[in-house]
Amino acid sequence: MNRIITVVFMLFALASCQKEEISIGTNVSDTFYLDNNGASMRLLVEGNTSSKTFLIFVHGGPGTSSFLYNTDYISQNIENKYAVVYWDQRNAGASQGNSNGDQLNLPQMTEDLKKAIQLIKYRYGEDSGIFILGHSFGGLLTASFMTAGDNQSLVKGWIFADGSHNYPLNDTLTRQKLLTVGQQQIDLKRNVSSWKTIVEYCNNHTGNFTFEESVQLESYATDAETYFHKVKKVNLATLIDVNPIKYDWPITSILLNLKYSSGSSFNRDLAKTEFSSVLGRVTTPTLLLCGKYDFICPQGLDEDVFNRINTKDKKIAISLISGHDIMWQDESFFCNEVNAFIGQHK
Amino acid sequence: MSHLKFYLTFSIIAFSTFCFSQGADTAGVVRKSSDLMLSYNSSVIYPGARLGIEFPVKTIYLTKINRSGKERDFVKDRFITTNLSWYHHPAFHDNLYFTAGWTMRRTKAKGFFTEFSPEVGLSRTFLGGTTYQVDNSGNVTRKKLAGYYYALASVGGGIGYDYSKTKQKPFLIFSKFNLLMMFPYNSTVYLRPAVEIGLIYRPIDFLSLKVKSKNINR
Repeated sequence: MNRIITVVFMLFALASCQKEEISIGTNVSDTFYLDNNGASMRLLVEGNTSSKTFLIFVHGGPGTSSFLYNTDYISQNIENKYAVVYWDQRNAGASQGNSNGDQLNLPQMTEDLKKAIQLIKYRYGEDSGIFILGHSFGGLLTASFMTAGDNQSLVKGWIFADGSHNYPLNDTLTRQKLLTVGQQQIDLKRNVSSWKTIVEYCNNHTGNFTFEESVQLESYATDAETYFHKVKKVNLATLIDVNPIKYDWPITSILLNLKYSSGSSFNRDLAKTEFSSVLGRVTTPTLLLCGKYDFICPQGLDEDVFNRINTKDKKIAISLISGHDIMWQDESFFCNEVNAFIGQHK
Repeated sequence: MSHLKFYLTFSIIAFSTFCFSQGADTAGVVRKSSDLMLSYNSSVIYPGARLGIEFPVKTIYLTKINRSGKERDFVKDRFITTNLSWYHHPAFHDNLYFTAGWTMRRTKAKGFFTEFSPEVGLSRTFLGGTTYQVDNSGNVTRKKLAGYYYALASVGGGIGYDYSKTKQKPFLIFSKFNLLMMFPYNSTVYLRPAVEIGLIYRPIDFLSLKVKSKNINR
């Protein structure tokens, strides 16, 4: 009986493709997992690993998957030059585990990111150049990473794309932008009833925001960019529509992880989190990307980072047609800026 | 007092109706072979397989007479099932799971059947890629057979055809939709739909069991 069990386990071990495959080439697709403190996090490396330059996408959410960032456009315009690492954070995307909700917190995720980078270097060589790109919540996670210990010595560049490094400031800036733009739109008689609701809410909620107010502001900010025709409409449904079968998306895992993480109590802790006060520690070249119509993480956040980091290698680039999702709403602008930054600092 | 009379009368009528309707029923115990099941078990595009045994528990031969006087015969079978299943989702995981369940099958005289089966069991996944651990000093090690154990529950419903009814062949074909629930999956639940297409073989004598058998005429 023991023999049968052993044989069955061996067969499935083989079938599950757990043998180590490290591909060096110009059109690579490697999937492997980082197991850390109750979570096995998926890393998909695609593109040109022979360049020895790796761009790690640190996705938003918490709980959004890196699968969404793996678009054909990015494959054709960044992966052809560099390797792109699509990392699913714990409790997100294809990452797996048992009862690990207690470990879903920012310090743990910061450690996960550090270990993900160490793992990339282990697999593809210590001389690999690493760039990290934080989108939305990924901005907070990368800010946490960049300001902790000597973590920034592991990376050659930090890209902050529609990110947030300071949630209380974020709420204040979102409210200000909603008020200012909202009033302008009402004066121009565009979407008047919707903007009136938003402006009224902002006038009635002036600061020291509770978690519920913060959530409401984000909800209005999400709606706000959809009132501008030049901003491409992006939502989870449109993103999931892109080749889920071709890329073997575990759709139910993506959705259920997102539901759990976005509703998790640790979001309340995040609402009070800020890294503005420690950004002076950052000496690494930094690229700040933002959309003109991003109400969720407004441009003021990028300006705050720009003014506080301690490097001269820094740039703010603003897309004139993008909202909160610059990599999907202004793909060519995004790829050109990212490629130029990596090319300069690799 | 009038209430007591009413209840007494109602009880007698109800009881006698029940007794008369069962008047032609017979019950007994028969020996029946267990069935062997093999199926392709997939999530539409991802491959998998399933192997199981159906242990018969109860068989009810039911004859219904409809309003026009026409007789319709059904067989209701009840099985306890054990299954070993597997599916492969590239770059995500392989899942090997063992389940025990209760299958309710209703077969028409012409051989077509429907079935419903809740199951519970244990799942062991194997991650779809090399898995590493990194210690606090940055040392990297590989983790062998990385994956997780999950409690698993599933519900499934399907249709099929029993060739023994009309062609005297000892097998059945079926197609079934199952919804798997695995937990605790990242402190929540993982849902996975799976479609089965398979064959059930009914040997003459394989793990034969004494089964309650009943004929009911209604």
